[in-house]
Amino acid sequence: MTRRWLPFYDELAASRRVVVPEHPGFGDTPLPDRIDDFTDLVLHYADFANALGLEAFDLAGYGFGAWLAAEFAAFYPERLSSLVLIAPFGVRTPDTPAPEMFLRSARRSAADEFNGTAEHYGSYLVDGGEDETMLQDYAELSAMARVAWNPRYDRKLDHRLARVRCPSLILRPDEDRVVPAAQADRYAEILPNSRLQVLSSSSGPLGHAMIAQDPAGVAHAIGSFLDMPREGDSHL
Amino acid sequence: MGIDLPTTNYQSDLGQLTFERTAERTLLAERLGFDGALIVEQHGSPVGLFGNAMIGAAWLAGLTQDIKIAAVGPLMSAYSTPVRLAEEIAAVDNASGGRLIVGLPLGIGVQYHAMGVVNPSTARARYREANELLLKSLDSDEPFAWEGDHFNVPYVNLWPKPLQRPRPEIFVPAAGSRETLQLCARYRYVYQAVLVPRATLLRNAETFREACRQEGYESDPSQLALVIPVHVAETDAQARRELEPHLLWRFQNIFRFPFDQSFPPGHVSMNSLRGMMAGGYRSRGNDPGSMDYDELINRGWLIAGSPARVRQQLADTAGELGAGRIIIVTSDTMPSWLEQKWMTMFAEDVMPTFRPPGGRPTWDRERAPAYRTRSEFAARASKSPRPTALMDGRQVDVRTEYLGEELTSFPRT
Repeated sequence: MTRRWLPFYDELAASRRVVVPEHPGFGDTPLPDRIDDFTDLVLHYADFANALGLEAFDLAGYGFGAWLAAEFAAFYPERLSSLVLIAPFGVRTPDTPAPEMFLRSARRSAADEFNGTAEHYGSYLVDGGEDETMLQDYAELSAMARVAWNPRYDRKLDHRLARVRCPSLILRPDEDRVVPAAQADRYAEILPNSRLQVLSSSSGPLGHAMIAQDPAGVAHAIGSFLDMPREGDSHL
Repeated sequence: MGIDLPTTNYQSDLGQLTFERTAERTLLAERLGFDGALIVEQHGSPVGLFGNAMIGAAWLAGLTQDIKIAAVGPLMSAYSTPVRLAEEIAAVDNASGGRLIVGLPLGIGVQYHAMGVVNPSTARARYREANELLLKSLDSDEPFAWEGDHFNVPYVNLWPKPLQRPRPEIFVPAAGSRETLQLCARYRYVYQAVLVPRATLLRNAETFREACRQEGYESDPSQLALVIPVHVAETDAQARRELEPHLLWRFQNIFRFPFDQSFPPGHVSMNSLRGMMAGGYRSRGNDPGSMDYDELINRGWLIAGSPARVRQQLADTAGELGAGRIIIVTSDTMPSWLEQKWMTMFAEDVMPTFRPPGGRPTWDRERAPAYRTRSEFAARASKSPRPTALMDGRQVDVRTEYLGEELTSFPRT
């Protein structure tokens, strides 16, 4: 789902300014050797925000991006007006093993992410031919593995996310076959100023690929949250 | 078969039998005069006996007297530092009388899933640094600090040193990535060519020799070891009858993991992956698991037949590749009595052709560094300082003190 402007971004951009960076190692963004843990990525995004002249902003992340957004929030809570985590993972959940991200065949991946409806989403899944798509997927998975192979969660988020006092929204689909519900639940537990919303869609179960399956619905949930009046205490 | 096959499928007696047969095969190999016996290390699946090759090597070294034992091999990255591996190498080399050969595989993709803790995307860089630290640990005569990207060890001081100096021989089992071949060339390791299509094997062998030239020397054939199934019987037809079902079982079942298990993220570079896809790794022509016996023979995936045929094929294959060593892959499903038969026939009717007159294995021709008897030890012993202790106010020689005043000049080493 990289190297393109998704309908989901269009929905968000209808009413606000949207910036969608692609992480080091994703899309066409290069992955320098020196990036090998989350702190490197967090600093990368601090530099990125500085380069764009953004001091404070609303931050949203999806999947791996949500984990990364949570890490950024832990280190730079003062820069965030709000935090949105869409289908996140990356916290340690006591009774449920971390989702398996690295040992999944491509076919099984698509079936799981789209809850069996992958054939309707060809444009999301194949970009520039099957081989080229496979190479790109492998490259991006490798970039994620660089920082998330072991451990497959950050237990320090358990205490660090207490620093994130800005309003937070955690969205998860009603039938995620990739990420257990316990992940979103746990994020909602540890973020102090958070709400959890479970989204479904009118045309069937919403799966992990929710921003592709129901871009308008997900964008609407985020928009409503961002438009809510804010209480004063959004800084440390 | 995958790394998630539950052990409800494991049968204890079969497991025990497999260990027993490994011991039997190794002892037989020694008696027959094979140069070495080799074991592998695998994790998380029924493919291998040993999750730790060094333990397997120690066990077999204890059961045998003379044959070389090759542990191919420990996954360096799995140790918290390679100094731990250096300690194991030194221990087994000493305990075996200097018979250890060590393999340093990078590890096939599935191992990274099975082990879980080593990141495949940084594994090669970690391996390269581990290799240098391992060599320095084995070789250095004084303590040193290692401050690297992947390992920080303030005091490296390996006691004891390996018996073979500067170190045991090192094999690197490799499918032939350029980087690995260059590493073999630079450190003068043995490139252990695991079985890939014949054309690729030839290319890899030439790449290796070229890499040695770039390091400033001509490689010796003993630096190239070919891994290949071999079977010999009275006639070609008999060999086929005996081998065919077992061979097909092997190629259809062993080391056949799904793609996502074999290629964890970061395990291969994008260029390598691109090359593999362009080379048609998925094509039937390169997949021995879908070939019949004739195709397997014709495409060089094994050597089998009468003694005359096997002698010829070995000579041709080794000659074509420039390989000075052959590592024979044994058949896991073959009954003991059949295995004893082909191994004995191989030792009597094939091996002598490839040896100097006299038919002795390397371990019976070369002078090993170990002493063989206590008298040899005494004759070789240098004059080292004698241990003393403070006893009754005197510094006494602990070995002769019991003689009291009867001691005149009792010679002791």
